[in-house]
Amino acid sequence: MKTDALQQPVGELRPVGEPGAEPRSRRRLWGTLTLISFPVLLAMAFLYAPEDANQGAAQRIFYIHVPSAWIGFLAFAVVFVGSIAFLATGKRRWDDVAAASAEIGVIFTTAVLITGPLWGRPVWGVYWTWDPRLTSFLMLWLIYLSYIVLRGYVPEPIRRAKFAAVLGIVGFLDVPIVYLSARWWRSEHPTQFVVESGDLPMQMLVTLLVGVATFTFFYLYLMAVRLRVGRLRARVEEAEVSR
Amino acid sequence: MSVLAPALTIAGKDLRLEMKTRDVVASVGLFVLLVVVTASFAFPTGGEGREGVAAGVLWMAFLFAALLGMGRSMAIEKEDACLEGLLVSPAPREAVFLGKLFTNLGFTFAVELVILPLFVILLQLEPGGGALLLVLSAFLGTLGLVTVGTLFAAMAVNTRGREAILPLLVMPVSIPVMVAAVKVSEAGFTGTWSGGTTSWLLLMVGYDALFLLVALATFQHVTEE
Amino acid sequence: MERRPALGIRLKGVSKAFGAQLALASVDVEIPQGSYVAVMGANGAGKTTMLKVIAGLAAPTSGSVTIAGIEMRKAGPRLRAQVGFVSHETMLYADLTARENLRFHAKLFGLPRPREAAERAAERLDVGHALDKPVRALSRGTRQRVALARALIHDPSVILLDEPYTGLDEAAAASLSGLLEELATPERVVMLTLHDVVRALSGPRRLLVLSGGRVALDQPVDGSTDEMAETYLDLLRAEARR
Repeated sequence: MKTDALQQPVGELRPVGEPGAEPRSRRRLWGTLTLISFPVLLAMAFLYAPEDANQGAAQRIFYIHVPSAWIGFLAFAVVFVGSIAFLATGKRRWDDVAAASAEIGVIFTTAVLITGPLWGRPVWGVYWTWDPRLTSFLMLWLIYLSYIVLRGYVPEPIRRAKFAAVLGIVGFLDVPIVYLSARWWRSEHPTQFVVESGDLPMQMLVTLLVGVATFTFFYLYLMAVRLRVGRLRARVEEAEVSR
Repeated sequence: MSVLAPALTIAGKDLRLEMKTRDVVASVGLFVLLVVVTASFAFPTGGEGREGVAAGVLWMAFLFAALLGMGRSMAIEKEDACLEGLLVSPAPREAVFLGKLFTNLGFTFAVELVILPLFVILLQLEPGGGALLLVLSAFLGTLGLVTVGTLFAAMAVNTRGREAILPLLVMPVSIPVMVAAVKVSEAGFTGTWSGGTTSWLLLMVGYDALFLLVALATFQHVTEE
Repeated sequence: MERRPALGIRLKGVSKAFGAQLALASVDVEIPQGSYVAVMGANGAGKTTMLKVIAGLAAPTSGSVTIAGIEMRKAGPRLRAQVGFVSHETMLYADLTARENLRFHAKLFGLPRPREAAERAAERLDVGHALDKPVRALSRGTRQRVALARALIHDPSVILLDEPYTGLDEAAAASLSGLLEELATPERVVMLTLHDVVRALSGPRRLLVLSGGRVALDQPVDGSTDEMAETYLDLLRAEARR
């Protein structure tokens, strides 16, 4: 299987219609949307949304924390779907999607785990509360990491894809069980630090939605970039083999 | 071709192998014993709430036993391509999984059977009526652990890291069943069965059932070249 | 397991990819009952992969493998019951005795009287004396015979051997050759991979040469063995140059 991929310098413009040209415009789309909405989010988070009566200014980190969590979970759901699709169809593209989403999911989940304590410390005086959602994210983070480490240990791509797919499926199905157990465990060890989930005033809700949108754009942008890297890597692999 | 017969044949072979070499029981058994004895030094013999900590330590010991045993049992199959020998036979892939599952369960239960009474004695616990809970938690918790572990062990031995990466794969995913097992064991040590205890037991049953199905469905993908 | 359907192995458009590498590239081969085939080729040409795909150890990336008209993908267990596979690893548990290993495989293959089957298989391969020794304690040659006994214990109709001659001395090789000749009856299929051209052309009745995952040569072994040997060596040289 010969390719001319290495004749073209990486990053050179390619005519529209060639494989790879389309994703580039989609990358631009997501990237631009992210660049636009992020400052909007920041502005809204600091200026538009009201300050929380109890928690003060520190509560604003909520607008980063919650969207990160949402995307972290979404990314893992994509890993799950990609894993099942790969095992069902055998098409490597699904594995690429799963691998990309896992790597990006780790980033968002790490953000959740960092913003959580940053929020907790000024508001409740402790870095870590065994809040069931935060605890579940810790577990999710660990499962993601084991997924990525596993991939690093299997050199042959198709075997790697199969193993990763099995772990991706098991890991995702585990998440609701993890959440349940974290909740029950916490109810037996109540701490004084409870995250109120009362009704949000309209302005906060809107800001939150903008946050979710921003992070979704960012996720899609990162996915597009990462998938491209994956495709290029595969091309290099093929070229090396056919030499 | 039935599934149970070849599974039992495989488990029987492992039993015979273990009786000859005492490979796994010796190394793992000793290690777990050391964990338990060390823990009993670290504990104050009196004191409220020590049942909770005891349950935690107990399950750490069981986890280590299971991980070491499962790793070793799969590594044996990897030697001389014995696993291929199982895969070229008419035994369905599910039977091969079940066979190794039975082996790993048997081994881990054997270790637990020795460790648990020892633990109760050394830490001067008084379970009384809670003994049933102890048995239930040991059974259900081990089943969950070993189901996921057997599936992952089959993957682990086919990676660069071999069975050394097994703990890395098993531990995150098995946290819920471990937490549940600790909770029920704690209830067993104190002899109290509350509503919460029932919930934890149900969680374990759900976990075991779910992942047994997933493992049976995905094992062929793990063993196929 | 008494009634044997008309055998024949059929590979239709079989490809097997390992990442970017194609170990088998759209192979079309038909191996009817009664064949005794030597499969040759440079290392990495796909010989082992071909056997593994027929044995059900590896699933093809595309294409189909059928034995006796039944697809491997659909009826794996049933078909595997007819196949005996010998690789360069013994597939024996080193700490069990030869007898225990053979009995285990006999049970695994669902044979009604495992103990007797084990003894019969051992007798046939002339390792009866070694039955109660742990496999670890046996000499290399004896171990290989026990491995053969394991593969043949269920009297398979399809016998696949992956480089069985490697590491054998002359006497052992001659003995193996004789055994394969005996086994290659009109009811069976015997396929082996090997590197030795002389051995490949004195015994097997058909020569398959793989190169880069494709069938480069497929000919019955008749009188023109010198020519065939030359063709094969040419193919190897051409590949080495690439």
